[in-house]
Amino acid sequence: MLKEELIKKSPVRVLERGIEGGLKGGNIGVIASRKGIGKTSVLVQLALDKLMQGKKVIHVSFTTHTSYVISWYENIFTELAKKKNLEDYSSVHDDLMKNRVIMNFNQEGVSTDQILKSLRAMIVDGGFDADAVIADGFDFARADAEHFDKVSAFAKEMKLEFWYSCTMSGEEPLLDKKNVPVILRPFLDDIAVLIVLEPKAEYIHFIVVKDHGRMNPEDLNIKLDAKTLLIAEA
Amino acid sequence: MAFEISKMRNIGISAHIDSGKTTLSERILFYCNKIHSIHEVRGKDGVGATMDSMELERERGITIASAATNVTWKDTTVNLIDTPGHVDFTIEVERSLRVLDGAVLVLCSVGGVQSQTLTVDRQLKRYHVPRLAFINKADRTGANPYRVKNQIVEKLGLNAAFITLPIGLEDKLEGLVDLVLMKAVYFDGEGGIDIRYAEIPAHLQADAAKYREELLDCAAMFSDELAEAYLEGTETPEMIKAAIRKGTIAQQFVPVFVGSAYKNKGVQLLLDGVVDYLPDPTEVKNIALDLDKGEEEHVVIADPKLPTVALGFKLEDGQYGQLTYVRIYQGEIKKGSELFNTRSRKKFKVGRLVRMHAATMEDITEGGPGDIVALFGIECASGDTFCEPSVNFAMTSMFVPDTVISLAIEPADKKSADQMSKALNRFTKEDPTFQTYVDPESNQTIIKGMGELHLEVYIERMRREYKCEVTTGMPQVAYREAISQRADFNYTHKKQTGGSGQYGRVAGYMEPIEGAVYEFVNSVKGGAIPNEYIQSCDKGFKEASKKGSLIGFPVVNIRCVINDGASHPVDSSDIAFQLASIGCFREAYEKAKPVILEPIMKVVAEGPAEFQGNIYASVNQRRGLITASTEEASFCRVEAEVPLSEMFGYSTVLRSMTQGKAEFSMEFLKYGKVPTSVSEQLRKEFEEKRRKEQGR
Repeated sequence: MLKEELIKKSPVRVLERGIEGGLKGGNIGVIASRKGIGKTSVLVQLALDKLMQGKKVIHVSFTTHTSYVISWYENIFTELAKKKNLEDYSSVHDDLMKNRVIMNFNQEGVSTDQILKSLRAMIVDGGFDADAVIADGFDFARADAEHFDKVSAFAKEMKLEFWYSCTMSGEEPLLDKKNVPVILRPFLDDIAVLIVLEPKAEYIHFIVVKDHGRMNPEDLNIKLDAKTLLIAEA
Repeated sequence: MAFEISKMRNIGISAHIDSGKTTLSERILFYCNKIHSIHEVRGKDGVGATMDSMELERERGITIASAATNVTWKDTTVNLIDTPGHVDFTIEVERSLRVLDGAVLVLCSVGGVQSQTLTVDRQLKRYHVPRLAFINKADRTGANPYRVKNQIVEKLGLNAAFITLPIGLEDKLEGLVDLVLMKAVYFDGEGGIDIRYAEIPAHLQADAAKYREELLDCAAMFSDELAEAYLEGTETPEMIKAAIRKGTIAQQFVPVFVGSAYKNKGVQLLLDGVVDYLPDPTEVKNIALDLDKGEEEHVVIADPKLPTVALGFKLEDGQYGQLTYVRIYQGEIKKGSELFNTRSRKKFKVGRLVRMHAATMEDITEGGPGDIVALFGIECASGDTFCEPSVNFAMTSMFVPDTVISLAIEPADKKSADQMSKALNRFTKEDPTFQTYVDPESNQTIIKGMGELHLEVYIERMRREYKCEVTTGMPQVAYREAISQRADFNYTHKKQTGGSGQYGRVAGYMEPIEGAVYEFVNSVKGGAIPNEYIQSCDKGFKEASKKGSLIGFPVVNIRCVINDGASHPVDSSDIAFQLASIGCFREAYEKAKPVILEPIMKVVAEGPAEFQGNIYASVNQRRGLITASTEEASFCRVEAEVPLSEMFGYSTVLRSMTQGKAEFSMEFLKYGKVPTSVSEQLRKEFEEKRRKEQGR
């Protein structure tokens, strides 16, 4: 399969159709679930989809060392390429990874302002004209109320698409009546798209909780394969 | 004096630049009573630390050459090998590591695991060197040994636990807690020479208990005896030490010591650790290659009765002639005995045999297995193996990386010209990554090495040690050429007018390959090219690939396949087929879409987070690709891939841009295709140069 076909047939297209053509620059999207369900895998697949289209992605990691992030990308790319029989594997790979930069922060001791300053430096001084930011491992419990106001303003200014992962933990219930993770309630206004991953017996289900103006729209018909953690049509 | 081999340690001190390695070495010498006063590295008294024997090193505050120094701690003989910390001198580090049985990895309590620590640790892993960690500079503002220990675990991936804890930090560093003995240790008297044991201060009791538990959890993995005793609460310091020793020697555990060499705190405990936890020469497996049996691996044993096998790992020119540092792996070296250099195939007699102390040397009559000694006046190169004539071994060849940069040098006057060749002769013997040749076209002397700083240091040494002034050209990057697609060839070399003629036809194709520089495949069937001329073809292709037609650099990653040809019963010859093959190469090369490759370096820059933007910009301006960036508290680390040709003068730029607060290291990563614009520029320059030469 050629790269172009792989982009067209990606389940991410189904996801985008479900959420009014995708997240779009200037908006924040969140993938929430309990620990170990597959958030990072989903984020990396979203990132790889952008990279395939020749877009540039900054992967911001708050918890893991850069080498772990790299191996996530390597593993999922290999898995995808194998599954879809991608042609010209190694040159596509090199082209993709050229457009990805990993930034690693320790959330403790690094403020929102400093994070945004570093992102700006990467884009402006580093000449890295990013289209999307993937933020993995951010601890929402420790986020200050202003965090998303600032990020949202920054995303709009730089026309960036922001995808966060959010780990839900602690006491039940984790979701409120409208399926919004309790931990995200204070930030809901700044979040354009909110997806909750819910493990079923055989696969992991995507629940769209918020899609721009709409709450709990119709089902998306996509799922996450429990074994490979790849996104697939349901 | 004969040594008991279990009371012998060969250790090196490996570290990031400026983490206090030289100060630590100096203190070790002091405590071992070899010197009587302590000099600072950049001493006010102008004397300088004893280990930095070279003036240049003193000036730059770094240690370039490794010197083996013999000291005695309590009843144990320790050969201390001071290893350089800068990545540009990596071959020196690697060569030293080859002869070590154990190492002390020095880290700074403030800086923690830095780019160079990673490089050095990777080298220690490559040579399977067991190690202790010493977290130095606990007296410095911002010191946090606990954070550094976590970095050792996370960034270096080592199984590590504290052996000592600091009592107080920064300017309040008072002493240490020994977690094996569960005692507080204070260093009294001038130079901290008097050790006083006391009860652990009340406020540290809980911490000490917690970290002792962590230590015992780690150590118990290596000893069932300790594991059982620990459960019953009957463990003894001896049991704990034995378990730690086992884990350390197996390279599955790293004991972590804390202290401040500068403030004389903790060095003695570290020395005890060297004796207690690092291996003696019999506990390390060393392998030689048997040259009589096709380089079959052979384990050498530290037994004085077996035939002698020794490795010359370091040459130095002293006032009395060439000094060769030798590690004896098997057997003994005696004054007057005969040895055999297995590379040069020459026999020689051992004349003067010495043991080196920091600034003095001691004449000895023999050296035993495991020992490090120095020989006088031996004609050899670094890395040569010396054996008793009855055996023919080579110690495993050391990994020598390719050079990536070259520089034309010219002596300023007649006197310098003589000195220059002397200096070059010696440097190339000392350092296999420093190479030199005369360019047949320009008639210039070219030196090649691992980086800008590497070459600069040698030019400096020529000035200082040989009083030799040289002018240097612009640094030249070692480009390569490669083809990007398959192309066929069919070329006839014919010269049949008068006298003996030349005739040869060669046909086939060339194609790009991965993982090899050059490959030649013979698929000629039915004797179209007579067998005796197949080699001539190989030679011709090889010759032609030495210089690509784009910019005259070697062609790599190419396979030449011949499958047809023709010969003439009288006029065919070796040279005719060589020339035919060269013709084939030239014919097909253009069709094979050749490209220029350049060395890409992995660059790691580190500094205060405030300069992050500047670092990004500087990488961006240099056609670099930022691959990762890490921020922690106020510290940032940027990893990037940058073409070497863009890195000239970067250290100066980075320093001035960040007020000297940021630093970087780089090493060769891979060859990458140059962008079209650069490629065109390079070709233009090459054409001009060629035109000029032809015009001359």
